[in-house]
Amino acid sequence: MENQIKSNFEKIISKLNFSNLQKEIKVKNINNFLKKGFPNKRLEDWKFSDLKQIISNNFEDLNFLNEINTELKKVEIIEELEANKLIFVNGVLSNVDFKYENLEKIEIEKNADLNEEINQNALLNLNSAFISNYLKVTIKTGYQFKKPLVLYNYLTEELNSSGINTRLDLDIENDVALDIVNVSNKSSNKNFLNFRQKINIGQNSILKNYSLDINQTDSIKYMHKEINLSKNSHLEYFILSAGSKFLKHDINCSLNSEYGSISLNGIINLKNDQHHEIKTVINHNEENCKSYQLIKSVLSDDSKGVYQGKIFVDPKAQKTDGYQLSRALLLNENVEFNAKPELEIYADDVKCSHGSTSGNIDENSIFYLMSRGLSYSDSKKLLTNGFLNEVIEKITNENIKSFVKKITGIEV
Amino acid sequence: MLSIENLKAKIDEKEILKGLNLNIKPGEVHAIMGPNGSGKSTLSNILSGKKGYEVNGNIKFEGENLLELETEERAHKGIFLAFQYPLEIPGVNTNTFLKTSINAIKKARGEKELDAIEFLKLIKQKSSELKFDQAILNRQLNVGFSGGEKKKNEILQMSILNPKLSILDETDSGLDIDALRIVSEGVNSLRNKDNSFLIITHYQRLLDYIKPDFVHVLKNGQIIKSGNFELAKELEKVGYENFN
Repeated sequence: MENQIKSNFEKIISKLNFSNLQKEIKVKNINNFLKKGFPNKRLEDWKFSDLKQIISNNFEDLNFLNEINTELKKVEIIEELEANKLIFVNGVLSNVDFKYENLEKIEIEKNADLNEEINQNALLNLNSAFISNYLKVTIKTGYQFKKPLVLYNYLTEELNSSGINTRLDLDIENDVALDIVNVSNKSSNKNFLNFRQKINIGQNSILKNYSLDINQTDSIKYMHKEINLSKNSHLEYFILSAGSKFLKHDINCSLNSEYGSISLNGIINLKNDQHHEIKTVINHNEENCKSYQLIKSVLSDDSKGVYQGKIFVDPKAQKTDGYQLSRALLLNENVEFNAKPELEIYADDVKCSHGSTSGNIDENSIFYLMSRGLSYSDSKKLLTNGFLNEVIEKITNENIKSFVKKITGIEV
Repeated sequence: MLSIENLKAKIDEKEILKGLNLNIKPGEVHAIMGPNGSGKSTLSNILSGKKGYEVNGNIKFEGENLLELETEERAHKGIFLAFQYPLEIPGVNTNTFLKTSINAIKKARGEKELDAIEFLKLIKQKSSELKFDQAILNRQLNVGFSGGEKKKNEILQMSILNPKLSILDETDSGLDIDALRIVSEGVNSLRNKDNSFLIITHYQRLLDYIKPDFVHVLKNGQIIKSGNFELAKELEKVGYENFN
């Protein structure tokens, strides 16, 4: 498979017009990737999700070809949510629609240059090697969005490449408020998708990011996010992980100045042989910052869920308040759930806690509901919906909250 | 309405009920009193269909073999158990639960389900009758409720569902005097010639407010004596240990 990837790379690099510097960076990245290959379970970060194995089980051949730009005439996903849109079709930016906003406050650079930093993460190397147009969006100081921004990742049936890499950098300046929704379409394709997003949140700015994996697909996905928070900024991050065959959210947040705060909440809701992982690292690098994480999983059939969460507290980060809780509901004896909560604390005046529980549905609660006339399956559904509803209630954008309740059928 | 014949029940090889007989006619209020471990809660669990017991004997409810029915079918037919320890159901709004419950029962009976407006009207009426703070109904079911609020919530559910046979499993335990009065008034307001009650309790206190037609003493898995309200008073005086 690696040879195939190497020859795909050589074809792309000779065909596309990259500057010599860009070529050089891409070559370094591909070499790094080829040296390491897809991450496997011997790496601590991948011990519960052996991507190398998953790739070889799902793809005989993984190719990375250059996709052409296709503009979508009609977007049939989440039309009911009034929103701005950035649409990536087969990994390539196709539609840009900020019709609700003041365009002077939004700067879009469609073919941004890679810088020279070489990452240790092989999948990010792969991403840097293959992305053909890397998008940078800047939101100018003081701008408050009127409607959310939806980032669609759309795959069409005519897709040639089985591997897709996309990258978006978002620079949010000071005093900005922005709500983002990440979604992808329902597709019969089986692809490997490697998403990368790098986000800076400026002083006093608020970013709400709702990452919704709701449509059934056989695709294998890796979503890497790096989010940096400035003074007095706030990040609300919500994950609904339910649609893809395999999905790993790799979320890395850094609180780089005082009074930053993060509320990160997630749902893993799986059936059949789905396998999803949420991995978070929250770096408390300065004083007086707060982070809160709540992850709830419901696993049915033969599915597998993983949560790895780390809170790092720098020696400088006194008065840190860090909280993390994972709870899992196991509905079948064949499911597997792994949790690895970690605290790494170098400051002495901090408040940090973590917890993890997993268990079966409570039969006494089922009996209580059945004694009020509900069938066994309705009782079970009400209990699991109630269990997950606690996470949905953390969403502070009311329109998006009711949208999420509607698509999940969780209205309790 | 309900007839229990030679009911025996085991859990984990331990025999708890050892041949219990009881007949309840429409409109009657029966109280069962007994010491800890006498089998009171087992009886109420078996009547509402809790799994995990090995049961022998006959139970007929309105002529039907009750033991063949699932828990929810018993609820559809009009059996209600007010739990000794009502369960906390996180994430589920109390109102949503009440509406789901009443409509599940209506649907099973082939009756028209309540829409949001009809439901709210019913809730408003019932909660004001029971002096139940309606704000509580917007909270998660029983989560963070005080002991008294949980028990009152059970009585509210009972009065909304209007069952034929209500079983109250130690509903009086942990209640203060005011809550006890409210609970009793809830029961008394549902009393009529068709509705029957089985009240399980340790103490006479609740019975002072409800005034049962019959009192039975349950000891060692059997009803050892039956009588009228006077029996409860006697029991309170003598104590369970010396009562034979």
